[in-house]
Amino acid sequence: MRALAFAWRSLARRRGRTMLGILGIAAAGALMFDMLLLSRGLLVSVREMLDSIGFDVRVLASEGLPQSRVPLEHALDAARALASLPEVAAAVPFRIGEAEAAVGGDRPPSIAVFAIGSTTNRIWTIVDGHDLPEGDEPSVVVNDRLAKRLHASPGDGIQVRGRCTAGPSILPPVTVRIAGVASFPFESGAQLTMATRFAVLDRLCERPPGEADLIMVASRPESGPDAAVDAIRKARPDLYAFSNDEVIERFEAVGFSYFRQISAALSIVTVSFGVVLITVLLTVGVNQRLGEIAALRAIGFSRRRVAVDVLWESILLVGIGGAVALPLGLALSMWLDAILRSLPGVPATLHFFVFEPRALWLHAALLAAVAVGAALYPMWLVARLPIAATLRREFVS
Amino acid sequence: MTHVRRSIAGSTRGVLLLVGLTVGLGHAWLPAAASDAQADLPAVLLSRQLAAARNLSAGDVVELSGDPSGANPRRFRVAGTYEPMPDPIRVTSERLEVRLHLPDLLDLGADPDDPLAADSLSAINITLENPDDAGVFARDLAARVPTVGVRASRGGEGDRNPFVVLGRFHLAIAILTLTTSAVFLLALMVLLADERREAVGTLRLLGLTRGRVLLQVLLEGALIAGAGALFGVAFAALTEGAFNRYFQWRYDTALVFVRITPSIAWRAVAMALPLGMAASVLASWALVRSETLALVRR
Repeated sequence: MRALAFAWRSLARRRGRTMLGILGIAAAGALMFDMLLLSRGLLVSVREMLDSIGFDVRVLASEGLPQSRVPLEHALDAARALASLPEVAAAVPFRIGEAEAAVGGDRPPSIAVFAIGSTTNRIWTIVDGHDLPEGDEPSVVVNDRLAKRLHASPGDGIQVRGRCTAGPSILPPVTVRIAGVASFPFESGAQLTMATRFAVLDRLCERPPGEADLIMVASRPESGPDAAVDAIRKARPDLYAFSNDEVIERFEAVGFSYFRQISAALSIVTVSFGVVLITVLLTVGVNQRLGEIAALRAIGFSRRRVAVDVLWESILLVGIGGAVALPLGLALSMWLDAILRSLPGVPATLHFFVFEPRALWLHAALLAAVAVGAALYPMWLVARLPIAATLRREFVS
Repeated sequence: MTHVRRSIAGSTRGVLLLVGLTVGLGHAWLPAAASDAQADLPAVLLSRQLAAARNLSAGDVVELSGDPSGANPRRFRVAGTYEPMPDPIRVTSERLEVRLHLPDLLDLGADPDDPLAADSLSAINITLENPDDAGVFARDLAARVPTVGVRASRGGEGDRNPFVVLGRFHLAIAILTLTTSAVFLLALMVLLADERREAVGTLRLLGLTRGRVLLQVLLEGALIAGAGALFGVAFAALTEGAFNRYFQWRYDTALVFVRITPSIAWRAVAMALPLGMAASVLASWALVRSETLALVRR
């Protein structure tokens, strides 16, 4: 009989214990799988979001973190200069501001405002009405949540007031026309969003024209983002250009390390759990079958063969438990992801637990290590079993 | 003496007296003869991280500029260093910060074209006699002075507080870990019960009732779970310092990451005990219900 079939029958004889082993591995494996999804989930998700909007290079006035960035002055001229580079397909200035709807009530709703330069590349998708028109007309596109909140639709005029300081706004309201309703990739679940031209945000905040937070650049496909970054750095050494890869690297170095470390710590805990559980189950099983194993040895089974039987038992327990862990882990990851996505300000399209094939391979590799690690001690026990002494002790005495 | 030029961006938008410094420029030595004049320079405090990063210490002279390009810098004397207030929100940020006297900061960041710039603040922090009145005070002040935003610095955020959400996530992870531990414990108790099949049969033959045997199993489960929980709490308490030191080193902060409070320790024991008892009863149920002769039959 082959070792695998022999191990299968051996496990089937002790159904209760086998089920508990599989259940334990499934629970620990599901948690471990979730941690693998978490370890790079945020990075993968952010990467997808950055890539999805069609711009692969960001140009800033400083290399600091977002809260300490300085505004990019004369951004419209800078964008035009960058767009003329042969490696660049489009360069669009972008600014983020805040406004409030000029409606009655104690707490007027706060609106995130995106001001964008003239471009055919859009970071939003129009779902109703039209896109921002070219020209001086003060138009906006709003998200569906804001349209419903203001009971407004495309073609309607709304009054908004810039919220450009820490306190309540005392700036005069500006009337803008809703050109369309759009969905935005970076908005959080409850966010009210409005996109417009620079001139409108300048009017809302009474700021000097032409200031931007960043310039988003789309490289030409034949050049690629790295060549575009090099060209921008040569053309404008006073600006800081980052490709999406570099942005992700910087986030990875500082911002996302918390989840990676939690994930590493819990993966180690769950792997240790699995190893101890299976080691205990196999060791007790082997101890209860010492006489049987000695008899097998006596009728000709080699040391290697009885050790391989134990290894197969471990592989079967861990393998079946690990397979059950996958759907269980995926279901749990949705629950955990929903908890983390309720963090304030998290974009609705951002996920913390993201599946990628790498997680599956790592899961399999770690479980293989668990199977082998857990089998080492019981394999050593059966391999060094003295045949005659064991038979005498188990059967005669 | 070391001479550093920095830029301060939008000081009125930043936190009062706390300036984020982002762009590092070069060092230059000042002549030693300048030391007498240094005493007259306005004093600043540097965060420990900035002092270490730029090799600065008390007595050094630095130049700070309110212009992003570093134009029109002003000289300051480093009076000392300080440990920035630990802030979980900024745990991954480098705390390169300087504290200035308010008039110096206003002077540094003032826009010459804006007459109000030298008289504008980002915020005023208020300490109340009774902190519990913060909500009422904020509402009252906001009603009296509608042009300023007033809010209590603690509470009232609920689900908007990221740490409430992170706490919920950690609780979910703890529940999953506990479930895995419960399966592990159940497996161990099943093995234990299996091992004691004959012993239970003998006890029954000696006259012990099923209830008495079950009580013994229950107490054993409670003892094992209690001992495990105490070991876990002791292990956590012993490794608490190592965890904190690692993460404090990793993020260069004085923030405390792990704190084993009596309430957490009691909660761990209170969860472990019923779990252990339930696992032992569940594992021994079939054994206790079996016929006595079946237990001792070889």
